[in-house]
Amino acid sequence: MRRVAVTGLGPVSSIGIGVEAFAAALRAGRSGISQVTSFDVSGFPHRNGGEVPGFEPYASVRRIDPAEWGRSSLFAAAAARLAADDGGFDEAGADPARTGAVIGTTSGESVVMEQLTADIVESGFAAMRPRLLRILPAHRLAHAVSAELGLAGESMTVATACSASNYAIGYAYDLIATGRADVMFAGGADSVCRWAHAGFFRLGALTADACTPFDRDRSGILTGEGGAVLMLEDLEHARRRGARAYAEMLGYGLNCDAKHSVAPDAQSIAECMRIAHRNADVKPSDVDYICAHGTGTPANDSVEARAVLEVFGPSAPPLSSIKSMIGHTMGAASGFGAIATSLAIRDGFLPPTINYATPDPEFTQVDPVPNVARPATVRVAQNNGFAFGGNNAITLFGAPE
Amino acid sequence: MSTALAISGWHRLGPAGGTGAALPDTPLPPGPPPVLVDVDVRARLGRKGTSFYDRVTGFAVVACDAAIRDAGLLVDDGNRARVGIVLGTTVGSFRSTSDYSRETLVQQKPYLVNPMLFPNTVMNCAAGQAAIRLRLRGVNATVAGGRIAVHHALRFAQNAMDRMAMDAMLVGAVEEFSPHRAWNAHLTSPSTGTAEGGAVFVLERGPARTGVHLLGVAAGFGWRERAPAALGGCVARVLAEAGVASRAVSLVVTGGAETGLGSEYAVAADVLSTRPRHLAPAAELGECDAATGALSLAAALEVLAREPDTVALFTAAGPDGGVAAGLVGRPR
Repeated sequence: MRRVAVTGLGPVSSIGIGVEAFAAALRAGRSGISQVTSFDVSGFPHRNGGEVPGFEPYASVRRIDPAEWGRSSLFAAAAARLAADDGGFDEAGADPARTGAVIGTTSGESVVMEQLTADIVESGFAAMRPRLLRILPAHRLAHAVSAELGLAGESMTVATACSASNYAIGYAYDLIATGRADVMFAGGADSVCRWAHAGFFRLGALTADACTPFDRDRSGILTGEGGAVLMLEDLEHARRRGARAYAEMLGYGLNCDAKHSVAPDAQSIAECMRIAHRNADVKPSDVDYICAHGTGTPANDSVEARAVLEVFGPSAPPLSSIKSMIGHTMGAASGFGAIATSLAIRDGFLPPTINYATPDPEFTQVDPVPNVARPATVRVAQNNGFAFGGNNAITLFGAPE
Repeated sequence: MSTALAISGWHRLGPAGGTGAALPDTPLPPGPPPVLVDVDVRARLGRKGTSFYDRVTGFAVVACDAAIRDAGLLVDDGNRARVGIVLGTTVGSFRSTSDYSRETLVQQKPYLVNPMLFPNTVMNCAAGQAAIRLRLRGVNATVAGGRIAVHHALRFAQNAMDRMAMDAMLVGAVEEFSPHRAWNAHLTSPSTGTAEGGAVFVLERGPARTGVHLLGVAAGFGWRERAPAALGGCVARVLAEAGVASRAVSLVVTGGAETGLGSEYAVAADVLSTRPRHLAPAAELGECDAATGALSLAAALEVLAREPDTVALFTAAGPDGGVAAGLVGRPR
């Protein structure tokens, strides 16, 4: 079995575009939350979100024409381009058939879907713009990455909602580990949209101003957006070209609650952690840091903390949520988690859970790294992702040798 | 990884000839009439737990349930963590998602949407509901690939069997008819009708009751003029990985209508250097989107049931550069 290195990182986020900006923001505990401007929020009681206002598609991609792609595809392509540049991806030297893209998403081209819906509401089905219909399909997220980087290998979009990036990263890892690919660009992308804002609000899961994971008084998510892509590479392939690795990917786990479409299940999540640990050949005591799913809803954080305590016991490693800074970026969320985890390993710090005020008496043993980043040696880190549909996915990363 | 997986059972939701009963009361575009599936989901599954299913979710659950029965696969507490599902899609339910978005525009307040219907806007709804219904706790995934979705789903499932130690995977795709999809097809490709339906297959290790195995599946990407070469590469790769000589391929099943980049059959025939029999079941029905590959594989399995020595190549290509090829037959 081949070993897999993380050699490039591409975050397009509300707290920074590019790895150094994103890393600095994580360390500073910066918030990317602002009032949503991409749709009219005046009719909503809650108006904040994690948009990426500084995203300039034309400055972010080199090969594809932004006019031919939707916002989520452009997030994916821009993030992949950043990861490729960061990792020193040599397009001319790579075997294109052994280089591919796997991109996770919750809602695909949700903004395009809303534009088409507006066409229907205004003038009926016949008024749907053909240009928008052509760019609607969700598989275009992965295809945008492949087209942007000139890849000829597998180009797959995984649509397992809010854990989709971890699914994508896990599948890409396997392709490399089993020798079916040398380099893979894996992660996720999603865009802020009105219908998700409305849906989470009506579920009672959208908070008013700031997302406060693991706080006693937490009251929900804020919808966010962006693109998060990692360049994964056969470790020997990376060594031969003298590339440095942020981290080594150790393995992952997937399972399904098969109980409820929106409520998480602690037993099942604990089992997913054990599956991931077995797959990565690590013990709970090896894990120095957990990048939490940590949505900030009362249910998620309570269930996640219970599962962590069940698997790790009272000496569970610190568990922080970067959603406190960037909101819930849906299909990109565990991709951002994987990037944060890789940076924690390389730079020796734990990203904080910001907006934290009051410990939850229900899980006092959990250390959410409150408000301030903490220096730490991170040898093994776990990145959690859970989703509607009971789609649990957890990835594990370790320090490179 | 090259171990062929048995296809131990399957179920197709095929066209019923368009009874009209399921036609929405929305004006449909001119052109070929829709091809509809006549399945009463609530009669098949009962009312409990099904009340918020949209059409595609109901179809998917019915197909998964029927496929697992066809395979004779018994699921209990001893194996349910090792039986999973991978379904293909294009955008999930175009109708459920657009209708949800519509509510945010037409209601007095934009947030007056129905929270119970929110999960239907997420693309993994059908696979998640099928897992709940059949109590399957293994790897559960949804891949969005349009016409190549089922090839991607087969690859994801193959990998889950190999690397996540699954015993069995239910794999396939269904699409629902809706005015949204019908107008989509009409506005982007005016002579094409719209079909619904699909199929689900059960993959297991070991000899299949049916004797039929998935011998391999390959996927790639070729933007614009590179698409035919990329598809040819998939065909060559799947033959090489399965150790099947090109002259052994006796049937080629192609996917959707041509995309303007040339014919899937011509590409396959060129790589094979032969001109095997050709079927195009999905293209004949109209735009089948993610169900395309499921209908192709189902057609190949029907031929294999009649003519056991058949080795069938089933190809797919989307309009956006995605290409794939699978190979099915009896191992020799």
